[in-house]
Amino acid sequence: MDFDKILQELKKSLVSLFNDKFSEFSKESKKDIELFLSESKSKLERWTSLLAQGKLTVEDFEWLVKSQKDLFKMKTLQAAGISKISLGHFKNKVLKTIIDTIKVLVF
Amino acid sequence: MKNNKPFFILMFITAFLSSCSILKTAPYDQYSFQKTIEIKIDANQLIDKAENSYEENSKEIEELQNEIAKIVEYEKYKPNNEITYKMWLLLANQDKNLLAGFLKRWKEKDKLSPFFITEAKAQITEAFNLLLEYESKKEPATKNKLLELIFKN
Repeated sequence: MDFDKILQELKKSLVSLFNDKFSEFSKESKKDIELFLSESKSKLERWTSLLAQGKLTVEDFEWLVKSQKDLFKMKTLQAAGISKISLGHFKNKVLKTIIDTIKVLVF
Repeated sequence: MKNNKPFFILMFITAFLSSCSILKTAPYDQYSFQKTIEIKIDANQLIDKAENSYEENSKEIEELQNEIAKIVEYEKYKPNNEITYKMWLLLANQDKNLLAGFLKRWKEKDKLSPFFITEAKAQITEAFNLLLEYESKKEPATKNKLLELIFKN
């Protein structure tokens, strides 16, 4: 077995895998969080308007603002979970690349 | 004698990645998905009744609270499921302002205003949607797929 050749091939495959996938993880989550924050702004504007019209009490308004904070916690948990799933896929690809490279060069 | 060190390093990396628990996520669970939809629908129907007295709806509220308690317990004991469990804890915590917090407020006020109900319902629905979207993104039985991948090659 020529291990130097195996390592060279592996290095090439893994570098291309990292370049293709690694930058996507944080970008996707960041975009998602930004969208959530812009939706939060619209809600705050609507609730403020309903408060001014007397359709919501101050207590109602406060409850809703706090609910948005709790929703944000859920959103960040979800984004972390989705990134973890993507990293899991990436891990599987790394494993497959290692095994494929060895298989092609050894057999 | 040939140097077999790189081969063993590769085997070690493969074994390490396969067992790496930090990156493990519980597989997609049809029961969790279906149960979350059922609770979401029941919760929405109940929230619509919050203009009426809490007492009038106390039986249904108690049933919903029982269902929530069951799913929280179910999610708690699934391996590699910390994120879904934490999301459920937010929904089920009376001191947070999502589903359980809404029911607590209903009990305290006895009746809630229609504008508040509409806005709070949208918040709670969004929370359920986040849970459902996350569950649907999980891989069906990831572990089995990974094992299959290793042993087939």
